Amino acid sequence: MTNNVSGHSGPLLEARGLSKHFGLVIALESVDFSVAPGITGLLGPNGAGKSTAIKLFLGLLRPTDGSAEVMGQRPYESIEARARLGYMPEHDCLPPSMTASEFLTHMAQVSGLPPVHARTRAADILRLVGLDEERYRPIGEYSTGMGQRVKLAQALVHDPVIALLDEPTAGLDPGGREEMLALIGRIGHDFGVSILLSTHLMGDVESVCDRIVVLDAGKVTEEGDLSRFTGETEMLYIDVDDRRDELAAALAARGVEAVVDGLSLVVDHASDEQYDLIRDAVVETGARLRRLAPRRRGLAEIFRSASL
Amino acid sequence: MTEARGEVFDLGYRSYDGPREGRGRAYKALWVNGVRTTLGIGRGWGAKIMPGLLFFFVVILALGFVIGGEDHSSYYSAISIILLLFAAIVAPELLCPDRRDRVIGLYLVRPLTVTDYVAARWLAFLSVTLPLVLAGQVVLFVGGTLGAPEPLEYLRDNWRDVPRFLLAGLVIAVYTTTLPLAVSAFTPRRAYAAALVVGVFFISLAVVGILTSEQAVGGGDCEVVIMDGEEVSNTCAEYLVGDAARWYGLLSFGEVPSFVNGHIFTETPDQGAPKAVHELHAAIPIAWYALLTCALGLALWWRYRRIDL
Repeated sequence: MTNNVSGHSGPLLEARGLSKHFGLVIALESVDFSVAPGITGLLGPNGAGKSTAIKLFLGLLRPTDGSAEVMGQRPYESIEARARLGYMPEHDCLPPSMTASEFLTHMAQVSGLPPVHARTRAADILRLVGLDEERYRPIGEYSTGMGQRVKLAQALVHDPVIALLDEPTAGLDPGGREEMLALIGRIGHDFGVSILLSTHLMGDVESVCDRIVVLDAGKVTEEGDLSRFTGETEMLYIDVDDRRDELAAALAARGVEAVVDGLSLVVDHASDEQYDLIRDAVVETGARLRRLAPRRRGLAEIFRSASL
Repeated sequence: MTEARGEVFDLGYRSYDGPREGRGRAYKALWVNGVRTTLGIGRGWGAKIMPGLLFFFVVILALGFVIGGEDHSSYYSAISIILLLFAAIVAPELLCPDRRDRVIGLYLVRPLTVTDYVAARWLAFLSVTLPLVLAGQVVLFVGGTLGAPEPLEYLRDNWRDVPRFLLAGLVIAVYTTTLPLAVSAFTPRRAYAAALVVGVFFISLAVVGILTSEQAVGGGDCEVVIMDGEEVSNTCAEYLVGDAARWYGLLSFGEVPSFVNGHIFTETPDQGAPKAVHELHAAIPIAWYALLTCALGLALWWRYRRIDL
């Protein structure tokens, strides 16, 4: 796939031996990972080095060692590369006295768009993020959720190749969080703008991401397609209304190991043959079957089991 | 009768394939935004009061100079205080809110460098102060020409004042732009920046006034000898025009452009630190002006190079 800066083909973002030290504090230590088109989650606890990695890719910081490249270029040296990046910071970054329309038009021009195009893009993007009606109100009067939408809009107003979103759901109520994630999903999957989503919330990553990079204490601990993590640990859930213990015994007699999880029996890595054996055991015990379905474990479970 | 029917189209997302003008457009956008901020365009009436008052003041003062038959050389000294007050109050608007609201981080991830940002803001403020300081001189020159019994003769005799007031205007506008912006770079609060600029101006003016006054120096070893009601000897006055007073005068930071002004118009200022400094070699106040302006500009740039984003 060819990306838009100088016909670069390859990963949109690439960290090679990337280190960043702040005096004695090591934020990142010899990190290697890449970000391909689509939505990539940068997951890790607070202080893992996520924001530092994002700032290195934006050119706001210079690496202590190694390189952070954007479409094959170093962002702190290449204005061309920075022109095709979008950034939504975690912290407040909006001028309270400007209207959203004014602010977005201005930011589009600062991104290099001519005034007429900037105004059109600002109106389009504000409508896209659901701020069509409120765009002439000063940003200082906005709620937290509306402010987050303006922050997202300014990251997209110049149609970047990739937008780097730092904790975009921070401070949002559950409804607002769902809406923000749905919006990010549409942008990343339907609109062709790739996303690097930095978050410490596994639910955010599970909702919208195609791939994940897990950072912990300045190092990459996991990297790959989301489906690889959740797919590898597929489990079969068997819910019955009664005779659960008898069913467990019947399964054990057939060599199928089932673990009790709440009201369900869980069979890890169920094979096709085991499906037949489970069917036979249910018939034999006469248990009333309510559900027989695979379930992917959440990322939280994967990381919890990995840390044990 | 046909019934009106509405239809809703989901336009979705349209990618942008129009022109991208890069760094030049980014720089221009910041400059335009800076000029609008300085003049209060697109903001409430409160933001328009200061530039409006200043423009009114410079024109009225210039008309007063025309009526009073004053010349171009003393005009800048007359407006320097009000110009610096204006700069102290308005210039922080260009830098402080961007850092306080953290918008600066959004600018610097776009096709701009820190130097572009600082230069665009500096140029935006200069774009307002320079026409403002020159406006009064133009009024004064046009008024002098039209009011003269022989306008052509007046032009022939005074045309040299035009390049002089253009150059002197540039000198005062550059300094008045650089000083408050450099101070504003070190605080996110506009009020602190304004207070610091005004404080530096008035405190240095007062200190230099004391250091160069005859009374103050007279408290030391000098004496005044009066015979038959007439002053026959005054070592204080000699001390006043001695080296120390001349050098102390350089510390009046608000009047630094006025030191150069006297040399551009080849006229001796009539009072205060500019008068004392004028007695030094011309290269000294000019070098002092250049050094201070460059140092302030470098401080401004250095502060933004090290800004924590």
